[in-house]
Amino acid sequence: MRLRLERRLEQRWWHAVAAPVGAVVAALAVGAVFLAIEGFSPLTVYRELFKASFTSAFGITDSLAIATPLVVTGLAAAVAFRMNLFNIGAEGQLYAGAIGGAWAGLALGPHLPAPLAVAAVLAASAVGGLVWALPMAVFKAWFGTSEIITSLMLTFVAQYLMRYLIFGSRSYWRDPESTNFPQGRKIAEAAELPQFGTYRIGWGLVVVVAVAVAVWALIRFTSVGFDMNVVGTSPEAARYAGISTVRVVLMGLLLSGALGGLAGGIEVAGRAHALDPNGLELGLGFTGIVVAALARYNPFAILLVATFLGGLRNAGVALQTLPGARVPVEVSLMLQGAILLFAIGAEIFVRHWLRLVRSGLGPAAGAGLSTAADPGEPVGPAGRAEVTA
Amino acid sequence: MNDAAFVALLAASVVAGVPIALAALGELLAERSGVLNLGVEGMMLIGAVVAFQVGNSSGSLWLSLVVGALAGGALALVHAVLTVTLRASQIVSGLSLTIFGTGLATFVGKSIEGLPLATDFRPVAWEPLADLPVAGPVVFDQDPIVYLTVVLSVAITWYLRRTRAGLSLRSVGESPATADSMGIAVARLRYLHVVAGGVLAGAAGAYLVLGQVPAWSQDGTTSGLGWIALALVVFASWEPMRVLLGAFLFGFSRQLNFYLQAKGVDVPAELLSMLPYLLTIVVLVVWGSRDLRRRVGAPAALGLPYVRDER
Repeated sequence: MRLRLERRLEQRWWHAVAAPVGAVVAALAVGAVFLAIEGFSPLTVYRELFKASFTSAFGITDSLAIATPLVVTGLAAAVAFRMNLFNIGAEGQLYAGAIGGAWAGLALGPHLPAPLAVAAVLAASAVGGLVWALPMAVFKAWFGTSEIITSLMLTFVAQYLMRYLIFGSRSYWRDPESTNFPQGRKIAEAAELPQFGTYRIGWGLVVVVAVAVAVWALIRFTSVGFDMNVVGTSPEAARYAGISTVRVVLMGLLLSGALGGLAGGIEVAGRAHALDPNGLELGLGFTGIVVAALARYNPFAILLVATFLGGLRNAGVALQTLPGARVPVEVSLMLQGAILLFAIGAEIFVRHWLRLVRSGLGPAAGAGLSTAADPGEPVGPAGRAEVTA
Repeated sequence: MNDAAFVALLAASVVAGVPIALAALGELLAERSGVLNLGVEGMMLIGAVVAFQVGNSSGSLWLSLVVGALAGGALALVHAVLTVTLRASQIVSGLSLTIFGTGLATFVGKSIEGLPLATDFRPVAWEPLADLPVAGPVVFDQDPIVYLTVVLSVAITWYLRRTRAGLSLRSVGESPATADSMGIAVARLRYLHVVAGGVLAGAAGAYLVLGQVPAWSQDGTTSGLGWIALALVVFASWEPMRVLLGAFLFGFSRQLNFYLQAKGVDVPAELLSMLPYLLTIVVLVVWGSRDLRRRVGAPAALGLPYVRDER
């Protein structure tokens, strides 16, 4: 008797929901094991986690505040990944965007009225991210250089560049009065995204929801979006249709980079108010990949997933101060990773199921757990595009 | 060349290159079977944190190295299940592995942050060769893992070129369908080599704490070495001996920073730290381009899940 993966004959709507929910439950179970090993009570930790992030008004708004940049980094990853382009450097594009956005906030902010100053910061940050993504996009489109490695290497370069501007030199971005503890110079007040009352969320949230809708509309209704979908699902078909792969790859990666940069601008205008390496190096870009994958690259699902992961992160911070048991903040990163691993493992069960078969009957004898599907079935993100589009 | 600081730089470059070489050799094995594993960084961190804890509780160097390596292998097994059996995207799975491994390692490592490690690998001087100028300290006065890494590179070269199993492995990486029709168990070979890759990545992480800096710190321990190892495999065009040479080159570029500071050369540390990453990009663009790739020997089926069709 062996287990065999077979294609489902009928696919019901709840299969697509059960997979991620099951993944979260399984990940929490695995997390519980490690929490117990380290001497924490899993039930207490999970209860406090939920309470900290999703029960009080301040908890919810704090979760949304963390979710705000995650939406944009999630979109940055989704735009590229659904085309089978793996820009994993949104982290670096975010830093480059922060550098660009902070420059606009310092140089243009004092001379512009409030809405325009904010717009200048956001626009400059998108340009910063786009410029940072340019080498990756160009090398990929023309030479076929792996965008995975270039985008990642550029992330480290961006990180060191940002640190250099604040800690290593007396740059334009550095506060000249901070000598012992170098800090970024505060941007003009007009360039800050206004907050809602005393809550930590503000117009940034409105901006990111608008961006999510815009990305969805671009993919759904424009010819550029159509070309991106074709190149993503079937490069062969794109070639027959006369779509220029070079052009579409360039546009996809640059759009992805610009979105990553925009996340940096939103952080600078909405929260950090300066080029602040300590406050920006939070792994928001890398988490964006998690957001995008869990949301199966769908812009609206990204809004939901970002809120969920924002809550998880926010709770991680809150758990550190839990009386009696100080749980390290890293617990939320571990849970994120576990959720993601289970989610991608569960992905296949949306369209396949396991069946016990008697050995020797199937053509795939030999391997313990054989894998089988229709030949030519799109595998990977391209296959998922049709679910999300 | 008689400059003592420069000789010390060369000797340190060799040590700095070893973890990169180990991790990259592991990745090379996985990629030769057609599976890309972007989880190297996560597996290294797990290897490091586990080796540290075993080292402090048992006091045994070799036991810490082995257990750290096995921890990396366990994480790689998750990747194998997800990508070989469940056909998940190798890229998304590998990235999740890094996120999970980083999270788990930092969570578990919280309690040991800042603690010293009781035991570490010491250089073994090959008298009288160790007294030679330059070659003495650089070649004949290193710790056992350095020599083990060199032996391993030779062994993997021999395995790939001269053994039947190595030939099967290469055929699985080039054309799994052909290999399958020849009766080679594609899934089993992929599982084995992905896990072997994880074991080497775990060992690389373990060596970081056992052989280099005997302490654990969340972002200082690997500082992106896993990613450099990934790039190095492409840089070395999937050849073990080139991986070894490349690793020493990367080790050199990482150590240059300290050397120049000691020499009083006023280059900002942040800018020097960018060097290895920029070097990687340049190398990739020159070597890793699409047309060259076929010539330099990328496994043709790299990154593609193998699904035997069933009707």
